[in-house]
Amino acid sequence: MVRIIRWVGEKSGKKWIYPVEEDIYTHEKTKKVVSKKAKVVGFTKVNIPSPLHPIIPYNVLILEDVHGHKMPKKVMKDYAMGDTYEDAISDKENAFAIVKLKYDYEEAVDEALELIGGITITPNQKILIKPNLSVPGNAYLGTCTNDKTLDALLIYLLKQGAKPANITIAEQSFFLPFEKAIAKTGILEVVKKHKVKLVNIADTKFEEKKEREFTFKISKIAQDHDIVINVPVIKTDMILGMDGAFENLTRFLHKESYEQLAKDPLKAVMALAILPKLLPPFITLGDASIGMQGNGPAQHGEPGFFNMIFAARNPVVHDRVASEVLCLSKLPYAELAGKVGVGEFELDNIEVLGNELEAVRRDILKPTGSRLFKKS
Amino acid sequence: MNKPRFIKGVAMSRFSADDVSTQELALEVINDALKDASMSPNEIDAVVVSTVDTKTNTERQRLYPAIVASILKRKIPIIRVPAVCGGGGAAFWTALRLQYNNILVLAVDRVVSSNTSKITHEIMSAAENLWEQEEGLIFPAQNAIVAQLHMNKYKTPKQALHRIALKNHENGCLNPKARFYGKKITMEDIEKSPIVASPFNIYDCSISVNGGAAAIISFDKTDIEVLGSGMATDNIAPFEREDMTTWQGTVLAGKIAFKEAGITPEDINVAELHDAFTIVELIAYEDLGFCKKGEGANFILEGHSTLQGKLPVNPSGGLKARGHPISPTGVAQIVEIVNQLRQKCDTRQVKNPEWGLTHNIGGAGGTTTVHIFHKAEI
Repeated sequence: MVRIIRWVGEKSGKKWIYPVEEDIYTHEKTKKVVSKKAKVVGFTKVNIPSPLHPIIPYNVLILEDVHGHKMPKKVMKDYAMGDTYEDAISDKENAFAIVKLKYDYEEAVDEALELIGGITITPNQKILIKPNLSVPGNAYLGTCTNDKTLDALLIYLLKQGAKPANITIAEQSFFLPFEKAIAKTGILEVVKKHKVKLVNIADTKFEEKKEREFTFKISKIAQDHDIVINVPVIKTDMILGMDGAFENLTRFLHKESYEQLAKDPLKAVMALAILPKLLPPFITLGDASIGMQGNGPAQHGEPGFFNMIFAARNPVVHDRVASEVLCLSKLPYAELAGKVGVGEFELDNIEVLGNELEAVRRDILKPTGSRLFKKS
Repeated sequence: MNKPRFIKGVAMSRFSADDVSTQELALEVINDALKDASMSPNEIDAVVVSTVDTKTNTERQRLYPAIVASILKRKIPIIRVPAVCGGGGAAFWTALRLQYNNILVLAVDRVVSSNTSKITHEIMSAAENLWEQEEGLIFPAQNAIVAQLHMNKYKTPKQALHRIALKNHENGCLNPKARFYGKKITMEDIEKSPIVASPFNIYDCSISVNGGAAAIISFDKTDIEVLGSGMATDNIAPFEREDMTTWQGTVLAGKIAFKEAGITPEDINVAELHDAFTIVELIAYEDLGFCKKGEGANFILEGHSTLQGKLPVNPSGGLKARGHPISPTGVAQIVEIVNQLRQKCDTRQVKNPEWGLTHNIGGAGGTTTVHIFHKAEI
């Protein structure tokens, strides 16, 4: 289900590989033509490694659709001329979708969710979106979920029949007043555009829940919704290794519970592993468009332009494969979560869709900490 | 072009993997070009310089015109024209359209300053970001696919590509400025070399080098006249083109240059074509009209582009064997053609050439320039 996209000026006959909404020749609206099926019309097997493509050999296919539109596609599997290229879809719990952004967030989010079987919505269902908007950061910094990803997700949900009044975006910040935290994230424009609700989790009702040796004060907001979509931005993290599906759930906790956990990193890892058990089932849409690499948000990490969107029905599956894509070390919390039955941790048992794992791996800067930054 | 332009002086450094700064390269070729033209720096009215911004070259110097001013000690207009591998040709094309009398066209690049992996990555930045770079289309892969499509469409044998490699290495072996000077490469070496991106062996690819080249143009009459100058720019991504086996940038730039010069491809006696990969030279034979479309393989296999053939191509060794320092390539091609027309090329001299042509490309068929030179009567 590869997507070959062209923006076509119907009168001018011009075609663009970039999102050109208005034909510059006729000033009329272009038509977006998307193909999900293609044939292999050319290929090469590459034997030279480079930083973006460290694993060799790999193949680059030239795919062509019925309109004669072409695109290159990196794969590890061998294909022959004339072969049909089509991606598999799976709605299983152990499925993980990797989609590469081609300038069009709407198409990438739609493709990622379609690969994991899509989201079926009935008009009255209440939908909760939990992004990462905990610090005031523009999208280019990679600290927060990209507003373009959220916009694309809302477009997807509305297309599936969701009502704007039934969609809530919820987040909180443990470090700053909520309004300050979200100030630069672009979320207010997205909320206004789609007429959906924005809620500060700190203002919601909390309840005490026990799981193993931990007692959490956790927001009831997730329980009050029929569909929950977790939308973390993918970042390196000096303590956890990676901020992904699990870390993003911590802001369902009450500040007191969070601060209690933050005191002891080992306990935090254990608590994080069981946190999904306290929430209803949710889908994770991993925003790896612009994430972070190096020391992550804590010690001057830097933006990582990963240009990918991930999707999974299980958080362990999500964080396990996401960390593998970025060549990070095994995540202790995810491994533990796998052991306590939250989800599948073994890569061999995970079905990767959209792109092969080996074809998208990239060796990003790891979180190591630095003696050059003064501890604040 | 408004008025006829002439070449006053040319120079190029040795193309090598030597650890040399771009300032040193610039100084060397400016000095040599001034000597070749018997001119003082005070007579230069403007400079057009081409360099690429490379992260790996360790220099991190973007304001290159001001560096050239530091070398020349002149406060004249200096503009930078970057167009990756086509930068030299694009700088020359630009200079021809400026109204200053004496213009120095300069190109310098330090490409070989990291390992192959990093250099491959750096050069890939000339490809489209999300559609190509993210999909692993390093430049050998881009051009390998074009080769495969040409082979399928026109039954082009791989042997034709290897003959281009052999020819250019034979020529480069004779060029003291070439990276492969004095190094004999055999057909067996080429055929047995590793596959880098199928169907390309390593000898189907040009070699990265550090280098510089310069040319001084003028309205003052000299022995070499520039009579044709064409430029065309195609889509960045070959996959956007209906037919990936013909490069419209070359076709259009060639047509403009031939029309301006008032000659046909049959009139050309010597050419420097952009052989970043062997297939690029072969397609250029066809796109410039030296042979019919689909007959590029016969053109090389019948020996027409050898030093002794009816149209010697890349007597310098080309990008293949002289080396490809990115921006300087286009100017180095001009240096070779000027020296050929002046009959200064020693053992690789083409017999009595009167018309010469250069063909320079940035990216996979993107920014393309074609220039035609004529031996003028003085």
